[in-house]
Amino acid sequence: MEHTYQYAWIIPFLPLPVTMSIGFGLLLVPTATKNIRRMWAFVSILLLSMVMGFSANLAIQQINGSFIYQYLCSWTINNDFSLEFGYLIDPLTSIMSLLISTVGIMVLMYSDNYMSHDQGYLRFFAYMSFFNTSMLGLVTSSNLIQIHIFWELVGMCSYLLIGFWFTRPIAASACQKAFVINRVGDFGLLLGILGFYWITGSLEFRDLFEIVNNLIHNNEVNFRFVILCTCLLFLGAVAKSAQFPLHVWLPDAMEGPTPISALIHAATMVAAGIFLVARLLPLFIAIPYIMNLISLIGIITLILGATLALAQGDIKRSLAYSTVSQLGYIMLAPGIGSYRAALFHLITHAYSKALLFLGSGSIIHSMEPVVGYSPDKSQNMVLMGGLTKYVPVTRTTFLLGTLSLCGIPPLACFWSKDEILTDSWLYSPIFAIIAYFTTGLTAFYMFRVYLLTFDGYLRVHFQNYSSTKSSSFSSMSVSVWGREALKIDNPNLPFLILNSNNKVFLFSKGTYKIYNNVINRMRYFHTYFQNKYTYMYPHESENTVLFPLLVLVLFTSVVGLIGIPFDQGVVDFDILSKWLTTPFQNNSNYSVDWYAFFTNAIFSVSLSLFGLFIASIFYGSVYSSFQNLDLINFFVKMGPRRIILDQIKNIIYNWSYNGGYIDIFYTRVFTVSIRQLAKLITFFDRRIIDGITNTIGLSSFFIGEGIKYMGSGRISSYLFLYFSFVSIFLLIFLFYSY
Amino acid sequence: MTSYFPWLTIIVVFPIFAASSIFFLPHKGNKVFRWYTICICLMELLLTTYVFCYHFQLDDQLIQLEEDFKCINIFDFHWRLGIDGLSIGPILLTGFITTLATLAAWPVTRNSRLFYLLMLVMYSGQIGLFSSRDLLLFFIMWELELIPVYLLLSMWGGKKRLYSATKFILYTAGGSVFLLIGVLGMGLYGSNESTLDFERLANQSYPMALEIILYFGFLIAYAVKSPIIPLHTWLPDTHGEAHYSTCMLLAGILLKMGAYGLIRINMELLPHAHSIFSPWLVIVGTMQIIYAASTSFGQRNLKKRIACSSVSHMGFLIIGIGSITDTGLNGAILQILSHGFIGAALFFLSGTSCDRIRLVYLDEMGGISLPMPKIFTMFSSFSMASLALPGMSGFVAELVVFFGIITSPKYLLMPKILITFVMAIGMILTPIYLLSMSRQMFYGYKLFNVPNSFFVDSGPRELFVSICIFLPVIGIGIYPDYVFSLSVDKIEGILSNYFHR
Repeated sequence: MEHTYQYAWIIPFLPLPVTMSIGFGLLLVPTATKNIRRMWAFVSILLLSMVMGFSANLAIQQINGSFIYQYLCSWTINNDFSLEFGYLIDPLTSIMSLLISTVGIMVLMYSDNYMSHDQGYLRFFAYMSFFNTSMLGLVTSSNLIQIHIFWELVGMCSYLLIGFWFTRPIAASACQKAFVINRVGDFGLLLGILGFYWITGSLEFRDLFEIVNNLIHNNEVNFRFVILCTCLLFLGAVAKSAQFPLHVWLPDAMEGPTPISALIHAATMVAAGIFLVARLLPLFIAIPYIMNLISLIGIITLILGATLALAQGDIKRSLAYSTVSQLGYIMLAPGIGSYRAALFHLITHAYSKALLFLGSGSIIHSMEPVVGYSPDKSQNMVLMGGLTKYVPVTRTTFLLGTLSLCGIPPLACFWSKDEILTDSWLYSPIFAIIAYFTTGLTAFYMFRVYLLTFDGYLRVHFQNYSSTKSSSFSSMSVSVWGREALKIDNPNLPFLILNSNNKVFLFSKGTYKIYNNVINRMRYFHTYFQNKYTYMYPHESENTVLFPLLVLVLFTSVVGLIGIPFDQGVVDFDILSKWLTTPFQNNSNYSVDWYAFFTNAIFSVSLSLFGLFIASIFYGSVYSSFQNLDLINFFVKMGPRRIILDQIKNIIYNWSYNGGYIDIFYTRVFTVSIRQLAKLITFFDRRIIDGITNTIGLSSFFIGEGIKYMGSGRISSYLFLYFSFVSIFLLIFLFYSY
Repeated sequence: MTSYFPWLTIIVVFPIFAASSIFFLPHKGNKVFRWYTICICLMELLLTTYVFCYHFQLDDQLIQLEEDFKCINIFDFHWRLGIDGLSIGPILLTGFITTLATLAAWPVTRNSRLFYLLMLVMYSGQIGLFSSRDLLLFFIMWELELIPVYLLLSMWGGKKRLYSATKFILYTAGGSVFLLIGVLGMGLYGSNESTLDFERLANQSYPMALEIILYFGFLIAYAVKSPIIPLHTWLPDTHGEAHYSTCMLLAGILLKMGAYGLIRINMELLPHAHSIFSPWLVIVGTMQIIYAASTSFGQRNLKKRIACSSVSHMGFLIIGIGSITDTGLNGAILQILSHGFIGAALFFLSGTSCDRIRLVYLDEMGGISLPMPKIFTMFSSFSMASLALPGMSGFVAELVVFFGIITSPKYLLMPKILITFVMAIGMILTPIYLLSMSRQMFYGYKLFNVPNSFFVDSGPRELFVSICIFLPVIGIGIYPDYVFSLSVDKIEGILSNYFHR
């Protein structure tokens, strides 16, 4: 028993060798490393499976015995400053590491096929393994500095992976945006850590909680300062988990490869913020203000994400907004004090969303040969439709994921979401109403995505329609990996030319200049084609892609069970509660009122069904034509009041499509002001500070020239000076003598 | 245990001696000079390491390997050398960076004999500065440093090299005037007998006004070198024009001389004035972080942008010195080493890539990651190191400085919060300019209109240089205790002056 805990430090470091050997291999012996590329994938999956076994073992021990193990060793020792590194195994850690390793294995398997034709295949696996290392390190860390270290490493991995296809300018700016916004969060986190270090003199969790609670209890500390510090800590969580003011990076992060979106930007990394809140909950609970703030931010994010997901045209962007909204749910849960529900929804959402993202990746892969290798086209739901015929397995899995996210009973998310909804009803009715309303919205937008993708018939021919409608840019078509790659294998060059008509698909109406600039992207194409396919219809992906999907379907279906109360002998209790007994002892006598549960469940399920129904009216196959894409077009048929409605719907549609104008606002306010400041300071630096120096230099030059002129060696000027001074001297002498 | 063998004198004199004998080499092309110089540098580095391994006790905070020869009788000028925990780090850094810089300077073919001669003279000057125990010797070494840099700049620089070189020499010589005033004032103050020995000077006390004046004089000299705003404008110009191996030396070592002097003379010899001036130092350092970061956005020139970023990083150093705490000072010393590595590597990589694409302006570049993936990898790694990513040395240094400032007993609550806050804003600004720099250089795709544009990725030599710098960066980041152990006792000794008052 004990020795498993002793060796638990190995968990984060298991995937690390892959990263290091791939990195050094690529730098030093690139050819040899590339020749055995499939081997690396196998090794990384193997190592991650070992992690999974380890964490499963730990989880079982936590369920049975549930005690907390901590090990520390010193990192730096100074006279009055010492940092300790160590690891902490508690229920939270075991849940998170199990989650990360299972989703990670699925995603690695999937990406072996998904990325197999990419030139950056090895780089991808190196980044992925490093991400797994740092994420596992984050969840096992035992003090705040360690959390901060891995927190930033995770952010860096996210940066590298969003900018994975670095030849796309839009990916380049997206990854920079993600990093900078995450850095804002790190700024808060670091300041919060420093603040608490100053208050308590400790960084280790349990000491910290104890000391802070004592201090607050005895009123020995400036309460406002504590609130400030907790707010700053929470800022870190806000940025990482894409909560309201700082959520803008997540939709842009979809520029990365799809497996990344599934692993990092849906399942694990964005859960790091929640993890931090959950970890620090004993601290936050002592301060009611911060709990209110957490729940407020959660509810804002919840509704905002859901509304913004309504009108996205890109399949991954709409899934990203749905992630934002679901993260709002998860953040709301600790804010209203239900720690258990937060973790439960975190788990179920991670599996469902990973399933959905991997499904969307499969769809994208099957669409790519048909419409072209630009994310504007292959991810565009306008061009999809009717894929049920072509990709049946993906469709089934995607449908199950959608239903799970909507909260339809037997599937996982139903149980967890329902728990959050019930708890929010106890906390505040207004929050509960918003949360319930959002379940309807969730059902609506998720089903919209599903219907647009799989229902009706294939709308590839709308490509030309949409292109003619929009303004055209002249852009050249270049492969992701540049010209050389294009020259090497271009058996499909006619096809490339076919797609490279100089038109760019564009939704915006021309009033949003800034957004236009974002859209104004060059289109890039993969050069690697699957020659065996015909390009008329999409095809189902290969088995290595489908297998992780099916496994995730299994998870999505059964993972809800861990939260469902079983009759186990005398007392009711479920695995999750048993798992989590340690942090909150009062949870152990958690019992379920089945009647209340059913009423709540019926209410939320009926809301979801209502949402599904509306979505199927709007986007269902009855009206399956391009016009149904916009909400506007539905109201065109409504009759006399249509102009007002039209305008309202137009506004809502544009608002939702443009991400609530928050991006534009940030661009206009922060980016522009920082640029102005930089310009001003550069001007100051160059003209004034440097100017003074240059003026001194120049003036000394002129003075020197003047003196040179004076001392030029002409006897007449010497004589003139001599006699003038003699005469002055004589004059003075004369004055004084008289 | 005193070893009577004059190790330090040999270490200091060996490069300059070897440099003067470079003229006796047969003139058979550049290869001879290259190999000769690299061998000399390596031998020097190995010699230094050997001496430090076997003749230096880490746990002793006193001066070791001390040497003392009287040079001028009437003036009490001694050739007095000695090292302690504070100077051992910079000396090793000097050896390391100079060796790599000579390796990086292989493409220099124009008058390479003189070039390598100057590099070796610089080597001597720097080691002499870090190991001198005499005030006048310190000043002489300080001046000895300037001439090679001036010549290197004015002969192997870019287009505006004469302007930059003149600016550099005027700025630094102007600073040296104040340094000389300080040295003489300090040396001649004692009524009975003039002394220039550090140890005796450390115990000397001055009238308050004189101490402040002396402090100020020294501060100006170091502020030019370090640089501290507003005396920093020579730095972007100089770095923008110099050859990249010169830049490596400038950024890696020369800037650290100012910081070293600030600790060695201002903190150790003038403690009272330092405790008066330290709040101002902290304020200036905080402003410098933000100010230099914002100027960095406005720079179009790649090297100038990196130069501004190094000015910004020097801010942390100044704050560390200004927060008179054990932790903060340790952080400052770690920052000296860390920025020495990172700055040198960034200049090296930017210089090599600029030479390849023959462009220096960021907005003209783009998409060079495809032809040069190795440079891209290394450059990204070092930008990450420079923006203080955990696991690399910059993070540890900055974190320790942060801890130093918050644990400092000298400052009150509100100023501390304010200073920490502003420093942390610098943490947000740094990635913006570094990442946008690497985005503009590497990301995206660009069809180069140049016919036969064929860029070679970095060869084994360049890769070796960058990996050599990368390893200590990672090493310090993962286990900083080793570097701390070099200097921690000495710092305790210095700081004990402040608490005995």
